[in-house]
Amino acid sequence: MFRRTSLAAAALLAAGALVLSACTGGTTPTPSNTGEPDTDASAIIRLVLEPGNLDIRETAGAALDQILVDNIYQGLVSRTPEQEIVPGLASDWTVSSDALTYTFTVREGVVFHDGQELTPQDVVWSLQTRKNTSYWRDSARLANVASITAEGQEVTLTLTQPDSSLLWNLTGRAGIILKEGDTIDYKTEANGTGPFVLDTWRQGDSITYARNDAYWGEPAQVAEVVFDYIPDNQAALNAALAGEVDVVTGFDANLTEQIEANGDFTVELGESTDKGTLAFNQTSGPLADKRVRQAIRQAIDHDAFVEADASGSTLYGPIPELDPGHEDLADVAPFDVEAAKALLAEADAEDLTLTLTIPNFYSTTIPQILVSNLNAVGITLQVNAVDFPTWLNDVYTNQDYELSFVLHTEARDFENWANPEYYFTYDNPEVQELYAQSLAAIDEAEAAELLAEAARIVSEDAAADWLFSGASVVAVGSTITGMPSINVNERLNLAELAKR
Amino acid sequence: MIRYALTRLALLALGLLVASVLIFVTLRVLPGDVAQLIAGVNSTPEQIAAIRERLGLNQPITAQYLDWIGGVLRGDLGTSQITGSSVAAELAEKAQVTVPLGILALTIAVLFSVPLGVLSAMRRGRADGTALSVGAQTLAAVPVVWAGMMLVVVFAVWLGWLPAQGFPRTGWSTPWLALKALILPALTIGIVEGAMLMRFVRSATLQAVGQDFVRTAAAKGLTRNTALIRHGLPVVGLSVITVLGLQVAGIIVGAVVIEQLFNLPGIGRMLVADVSGRDLLKVQGELLVLTGFVLIVGFIVDLVHRVIDPRQREAT
Repeated sequence: MFRRTSLAAAALLAAGALVLSACTGGTTPTPSNTGEPDTDASAIIRLVLEPGNLDIRETAGAALDQILVDNIYQGLVSRTPEQEIVPGLASDWTVSSDALTYTFTVREGVVFHDGQELTPQDVVWSLQTRKNTSYWRDSARLANVASITAEGQEVTLTLTQPDSSLLWNLTGRAGIILKEGDTIDYKTEANGTGPFVLDTWRQGDSITYARNDAYWGEPAQVAEVVFDYIPDNQAALNAALAGEVDVVTGFDANLTEQIEANGDFTVELGESTDKGTLAFNQTSGPLADKRVRQAIRQAIDHDAFVEADASGSTLYGPIPELDPGHEDLADVAPFDVEAAKALLAEADAEDLTLTLTIPNFYSTTIPQILVSNLNAVGITLQVNAVDFPTWLNDVYTNQDYELSFVLHTEARDFENWANPEYYFTYDNPEVQELYAQSLAAIDEAEAAELLAEAARIVSEDAAADWLFSGASVVAVGSTITGMPSINVNERLNLAELAKR
Repeated sequence: MIRYALTRLALLALGLLVASVLIFVTLRVLPGDVAQLIAGVNSTPEQIAAIRERLGLNQPITAQYLDWIGGVLRGDLGTSQITGSSVAAELAEKAQVTVPLGILALTIAVLFSVPLGVLSAMRRGRADGTALSVGAQTLAAVPVVWAGMMLVVVFAVWLGWLPAQGFPRTGWSTPWLALKALILPALTIGIVEGAMLMRFVRSATLQAVGQDFVRTAAAKGLTRNTALIRHGLPVVGLSVITVLGLQVAGIIVGAVVIEQLFNLPGIGRMLVADVSGRDLLKVQGELLVLTGFVLIVGFIVDLVHRVIDPRQREAT
């Protein structure tokens, strides 16, 4: 009886929404953003994916980084939405000319949410414990750190070899500063130094932050932020239209007209580091042949994904525009059905049948486009939609797949192309060498150039296909200012959020 | 009667035991585990193994079952492998949404289906009776999701009378807000379940019309309708109680769908989230409690039947 006729329902609802927009389309947008911010305000932000728990040390997932890093927990350094590295708990830092010694000046007067003062010893303990605890997230990113010492307010990291990614890594999980020996239950509690404190977590529903009145920097401009977890975009649209949320993140750009109809919301499209990655298992079978992989890439009409999403951009290599080492690699795999057919004929791989394993929470448009594109060159694509744990087990852990689609959201994650053990199954010593050189480079520009070179090889090897680079689609209410729009699925810094 | 109740109770316990094994085994067939989810897509096999070890996922499956069922028998449903909080406490918290939702939905279903069902049987063959019957058929065929979306568009988005989704963060300490949040979801389940119930009431009533005792009462001078209401309806009532027992299971399934649609923090939504989080200890506890609930409702319905139906009492 409970049939899943979501397609039909969506069509009917779209019709309803059209009627609705016809009813309200005539009103002029109300003037917004006038007057002073209301420092007693509560801002309600729709997010999509709720974290399983709040253990920032151990539990993977962008859902944790998104809300916890910057707002609750901080590192010595931080990053802006534009991916620039800026001071955090360190007011300043210096790097020695051989790039082997990093010296950070830890701010004074910083207190944890429980009232205890932050000391340089907390910094040393946090970094050292992370380095020594292999199952903490990003522990391996401190692998080149030989020693961590404190003297006065200065904390010094000594490296065994230069690491051009170290500062960046310290802006993420690898660099988070915790209270030494803290006894809180990290799964449900949080004790950081950020501008917000965790107030309540109603599991399966919402997380509420309150302003940290003892914050060392500029205090937050809202008294309270509520993260309302609404997985479905249609429900989020309804909530927005009914005035139940102030900001909608992770929105569907196809619904822009509807949410903007009465002038209460504006949709902003920000860049993101989301990479729609079509992985090829190239260990054996037809996909071990580079010509077959290249044929698949050239058979795919990448613009179709951008059109279907009404947002984002095409991407032809492993590095998105926000990350260092990006270059436009469109020339490597231009959409060309005839060329694709020729390659398949050359590889003696006509009449192929391949299976795509894809987590079932992604839009069905993705497999639809792939099936029809590949069908045009004589490849039959079978779609195996599975839940995410199954994908993790079959594809990620057991590498038992032919084609796989997953949106890789993490910024600066080129390392996976230099890791032959990774589920991408891509093994090219030249790329591994270039990546190692890039890490060891002292000059940032040089590091980026080496990455770009490696990325071009990955793309030329048709190690995978990148269907699109996702956008960060945020609908912002007219009373809200200071809401970031870039890469908010990865990090959502609310220090400047204000409501009028 | 007491012997009957005891036999029935023993069957109930056996049913629960079998269910516990089935639940445990079928969940173990699901690919992937919570350790992989905690470790994510930038992890090494060593990291996953370390987490697995710490969570006790490496123990033999029989030991895991005995551990769990032993806890259940002592009244301890265990703790979530992800959040570390007690399963019983989480269930109790989410029940504050799902139980009122179910009661409200059932009330709505009964309130409109019984009178309309009887009416449509009594007016059989006339235009209004046919219209009612066709209306019920149509409503029963409506998918819950669609009905919910339509109600949201009308009452939340257009009229703005009721919330489109969610449950107040203040919970039942703001009773009016909490109730408002449940009206549309309960209506959605209630209308669809009620339409099915209405068809059932109608056919039960029609059957009652043909019964000897109703015809005899009519022959003794009562009008057909009075005979039906006085002598037929108690029989209809009995069958309705039986169906209601079954309908409770339907409402639980409905709650799973509706809580997703309306974003309600209830047991249904928690269950779906826990399955996709592979928090198996929690899923086991949730499913066992739900199964127990449905079995107990069935048990009570049987007993009630026994008590109020003279024919069944005589049979023993």
